[in-house]
Amino acid sequence: VIVTETAREQTRARYPDEEGYVERDGVQIYWERYGEGERTVTFLPTWHIIHSRSWKAQVPYLARQFRVVIFDPRGNGKSDRPQTGYAVEDYYRDALAVLDAARVERTVVVGFSDGTYPAVMLAALAPELVESVVLIGGQSEEETPAEFWHSRQRYEGWDKYNAVYWLEHYEEFLWWFFAQVCSEPHSTKQIEDSVGWGLETTADVLVANEREFDRRIGPLLARVRCPVLVIHGTEDAVAEPEHGISLAQELGAPIVLLEGSGHGPQMRDPVKVNGLLREFVEPGPAREPRAGTWTRARSRPRRALYVSSPIGLGHARRDVAIAKELRKLHPELEIDWLAQHPVTAVLEEEGERIHPASAELANESGHIESESAEHDLHVFQAWRRMDEILVANFMLFHDVVRDDPYDLWIGDEAWEVDYFLHENPELKTAAYVWLTDFVGWLPMSDGGDREAFLTADYNAEMIEQIARFPRVRDQAIFVGNPEDLVPDSFGPELPAIRDWTEQHYDFAGYVTGFEPVQDRERLRAELGYSPGEQVCIVTVGGSGDAYPPAKELVPELRMIVVAGPRIDPATLPEEDGLEVRSYVHDLYRHLAASDLAVVQGGLTTAMELTANGRPFLYFPLRHHFEQNFHVRHRLERYGAGRRMDFDEATPDVTAQAIAEEIGREVDYLPVETDGAAKAAARIAELL
Amino acid sequence: MIVAETVREQTRARYPDEEGYVERDGVRVFYEVYGDGEPTVLLLPTWSIVHSRVWKLQIPYLARHCRVVTFDPRGNGKSDRPLEASAYDEHELAADALTVLDATETERAVLVSLSLGAHRALLLAAGRPNRVAGAVFICPSVPLASRPGDQFSYSFEEPFDAYHGWAKVNRHYWLVDFRGFLEFFFSQMFTEPHSTKQVEDCVGWGLETTPEVLIATAYAAQVKKDEARALSSQIACPVLVLQGTEDAIEGPARGIALAQATGGRLVLLAGSGHGPHARDPVRVNLLIREFVESLS
Repeated sequence: VIVTETAREQTRARYPDEEGYVERDGVQIYWERYGEGERTVTFLPTWHIIHSRSWKAQVPYLARQFRVVIFDPRGNGKSDRPQTGYAVEDYYRDALAVLDAARVERTVVVGFSDGTYPAVMLAALAPELVESVVLIGGQSEEETPAEFWHSRQRYEGWDKYNAVYWLEHYEEFLWWFFAQVCSEPHSTKQIEDSVGWGLETTADVLVANEREFDRRIGPLLARVRCPVLVIHGTEDAVAEPEHGISLAQELGAPIVLLEGSGHGPQMRDPVKVNGLLREFVEPGPAREPRAGTWTRARSRPRRALYVSSPIGLGHARRDVAIAKELRKLHPELEIDWLAQHPVTAVLEEEGERIHPASAELANESGHIESESAEHDLHVFQAWRRMDEILVANFMLFHDVVRDDPYDLWIGDEAWEVDYFLHENPELKTAAYVWLTDFVGWLPMSDGGDREAFLTADYNAEMIEQIARFPRVRDQAIFVGNPEDLVPDSFGPELPAIRDWTEQHYDFAGYVTGFEPVQDRERLRAELGYSPGEQVCIVTVGGSGDAYPPAKELVPELRMIVVAGPRIDPATLPEEDGLEVRSYVHDLYRHLAASDLAVVQGGLTTAMELTANGRPFLYFPLRHHFEQNFHVRHRLERYGAGRRMDFDEATPDVTAQAIAEEIGREVDYLPVETDGAAKAAARIAELL
Repeated sequence: MIVAETVREQTRARYPDEEGYVERDGVRVFYEVYGDGEPTVLLLPTWSIVHSRVWKLQIPYLARHCRVVTFDPRGNGKSDRPLEASAYDEHELAADALTVLDATETERAVLVSLSLGAHRALLLAAGRPNRVAGAVFICPSVPLASRPGDQFSYSFEEPFDAYHGWAKVNRHYWLVDFRGFLEFFFSQMFTEPHSTKQVEDCVGWGLETTPEVLIATAYAAQVKKDEARALSSQIACPVLVLQGTEDAIEGPARGIALAQATGGRLVLLAGSGHGPHARDPVRVNLLIREFVESLS
């Protein structure tokens, strides 16, 4: 088993509005409260092998409507880890103390696995506090077997549920155990998360729990009077579905069986579980016909919802270009945009209509930024660590389209929409178009076997989704040409990326979203660049160091470093003659006017330079598979740009490259200018 | 417009589980019961120009989820056709409804009314609160606001040389060209394009009664504006008003006013005319079911 380091917590989709500690018998219990709704939902901790982050896919969605309280169990998270005090009663009393501290007078209680015992206790013993209960993956009343305490020669399967094994092989136990919890294929992220939370506590704390946690709460079941909902996966490999079924029977409660789900459906099928929770929690009157307007189909204008990815700068302009072409074909088409910064900046400038719910989207670009180091972005892992945000944003998307019927949804690398529609295909209620400029997660070589396994697993899941539900994507449009597809395969025993993509996509050609510059001399004059100057625009941090040697090689050199809004120009090295600016309006025009650009390996900027026929050096970000493989492959096809290695580019090396490239006449393949129109023509067929 | 002859009734999606007659003052009224769920939904008759088949798109769906009772109004369908105006007094129609509820052993029902049926529904919901669990009004014809155009504004008594538009609401015209009136009236009821079947159905049901019956209804006592306001404010049960924005018979203002007067919920059906139950049956069925479920 390959184990990742316990990483810092990934960006949350939503942060608590209030947090605090409550102390009971000298043990500090950490709690959080989200949202302001009238009704409260309390998610109990389960076995303290994990902590309150295990509800991360639920909290942001439910907090939009309800007050949500969660807390870390004694033994994990930010709560204390006493050596004793792990009886069910302790969890029950901790819950009471937290509810008191969070000033909760009445609440819906959700318990998962071992958390179902304190949930039942609350319902039975504190009925004035509990309005209803949801029990997910309810456990049986089995006692800890005697063998648990004794060492074995070998630990096979559930033998690993053993005190000695835990103490000696804690991490191995975690990997094995959470593979049982998340037994659905393609559960790598859920398993990694859970193992990470498990590593925040220790084996002896878990063993202490086993000594004290008495699961025999049967007599209490008869005392539960409030409404109960039982949710159980039919493939639950930890608590057999029969336990959930008999629990529901004893409580006289409805049970929702999730066919194919494992022990933790709230992690692996969050959209379904969130929908069930919301339906259950919502009071009766909310199910009344909502006052408002329903428009009969014939009276509806054609309407599209455009979901444009905020990751990378490129999507906004190409999406606006496609929208404009679409309106040429359907002049009456109304387009709403579900988008966030920086896409919204472009949309506002263009006078596009931004759906008001956009303000509630969890911030994706901020997360990606937080995952970046100096010229380094492990974009695959950064994307994986966005799972909570993607669920939250899909739920928002779902709320928007449930209330408001659109004819068409367009998702430009709208990962959350694409993934969760395939996971919940019954939620698709409009035509849907998927756009992307790369296909296939690819491992970085230093990611080793683990990353190769993970990228192949994600590719396999995507291939399976599309094979099983071909009706989800009505159009899949590749922003590029078949030759732009990398010659790699999706992974071991998986198809070649190009073959598969040619079978499953239409090709629009590249979409720049702008007209190439016609009169470059005039543009230079307008921007204040004189004919005798050799203008070099630099957007890669650190490359300013190359200025002195480059200036020696190119006496007419005028180098302008654009530091970007997040870097204080004062922190950059000062060189006489080197111009440093924190922000340049319409940077793409300066790039088009330049004699040489020094940029990162992002597709948009590189293709702008290609379309404008400018020489450029590009430095792919470390660990950015898209820049290192997909973009590089495409640029090589166009014969455009000169790839540089950030780690090997000393100032002299960079200066030499600058001198060789600056002002050079290029012979790139021409970049098509009809990509937006071609994409729009395919999309328009659905309207 | 060419309308087919009244033909035998088309195959129903569901047939009643129970049917019968009630009799009041010598007038027999035919009722049907479908399904046996909870609660009971009473689909009230509207103007006697049509009969209970007007609910044919609601009955099969609602009967799968609750118990449905409906009846033909006096003057059409399988009910008797008295010719005195007093027989069509709104209080008589409300009394028929109560008698049907008794005959079907229905303690309480959710009322669903269309157009003129709102008068009966108001009388029942305000006057017999223990029998009414909730009330859905579809494009109610209640005089809480004025009609937007010249609907029902011409003399009913006076003969004209020619009868154009709403002047067709005229006893003399009805007697010479009843079908012409029906075709005009239902073309106004269904202003949505492509409504041929709905218009044909209604014209056919209209032809099952006579101009004499309709003339009698025209002189019957209805709920007046002040009474409607008073009844609306007395209603304690939940109310849902469904109103088409393109209602060419009543205009949307009356439904909006009724929702305000009763404190009920208003769902506007944008683009719908006066008969959304027939022209947008799926949405109307879903709205009725949601409303009924919200009462439990």
